[in-house]
Amino acid sequence: MARMKFICDTERCIECNGCVTACKNDNEVPWGVNRRRVVTVNDGIIGQEKSISVACMHCTDAPCMAVCPVDCFYRTDEGVVLHDKDICIGCGYCSFACPFGAPQFLSVGAFGVRSKMDKCTFCSGGPEANGSVAEFKKYGRNRLAEGKLPLCAEMCSTKALIGGDSEIISGIFNKRVENRQANGKYTGSQLFGWSTAYGGPGTPDPTPTAAAKIPGAK
Amino acid sequence: MKSILKVLGLGIATVTLLGACSEPPQIAARKALRPDVAPYMGADNGFMTKNWKPGDQASWTESVDKRTLSQSEQRRTK
Repeated sequence: MARMKFICDTERCIECNGCVTACKNDNEVPWGVNRRRVVTVNDGIIGQEKSISVACMHCTDAPCMAVCPVDCFYRTDEGVVLHDKDICIGCGYCSFACPFGAPQFLSVGAFGVRSKMDKCTFCSGGPEANGSVAEFKKYGRNRLAEGKLPLCAEMCSTKALIGGDSEIISGIFNKRVENRQANGKYTGSQLFGWSTAYGGPGTPDPTPTAAAKIPGAK
Repeated sequence: MKSILKVLGLGIATVTLLGACSEPPQIAARKALRPDVAPYMGADNGFMTKNWKPGDQASWTESVDKRTLSQSEQRRTK
């Protein structure tokens, strides 16, 4: 079964914000909510500036799911983490639990009143009928049910952001890194795969930490 | 007779008061009523790609995987 993921290649992202615009436009995301955004580190420092496009990472062991008091999250067979807005109470616990700042809340009035949570759905809608108007109004487009991939990834001009089955996209990324190594270029992130990252078969032993090298250290 | 009426009255009052303590349907039950439809079942909105058959998981997976691979431009440069 496919496990849908995003990868953003920091060696390719040029901070054009095309993915952000595509997401907002295609899903008609309201002002004040950004399901996807581009984060830049070392801004302005020549040679060290890196940008990465961030949204919900559809975690395999999602902390938002763990902390939700009304259990509104669910994971599809494709590994996409979705939520039911009819059950969400807008408490914001998921926002504190998420390491990527994916859950977004629209300020709907005075005194900091918040809307129900909104986040990236990997363009796969919600519990309503696939491609229905009700689904679009609550969650945006359901491109997966149309046989497509998320628009942010498909329209990325430098192909920094790619999305799809984790094994396939990690293979694409691995090939890029191999080519960079072969051409003597800076590789950025090293070769990896989700099976490796999550301790699949053939996982190498972890590198000893500095503390472990100190005699008597525990 | 009076004692029977008194017991009957107490019984009705008890049932009425305990009835107020009943719970509304739980969220878990609501959730079960709202299952999501798998994406390979297709979307009835006229925007579907043509190279797979709605309801056939294998053809949907093959089509989406092909689309995923097309994100690698290095396949096109060789």
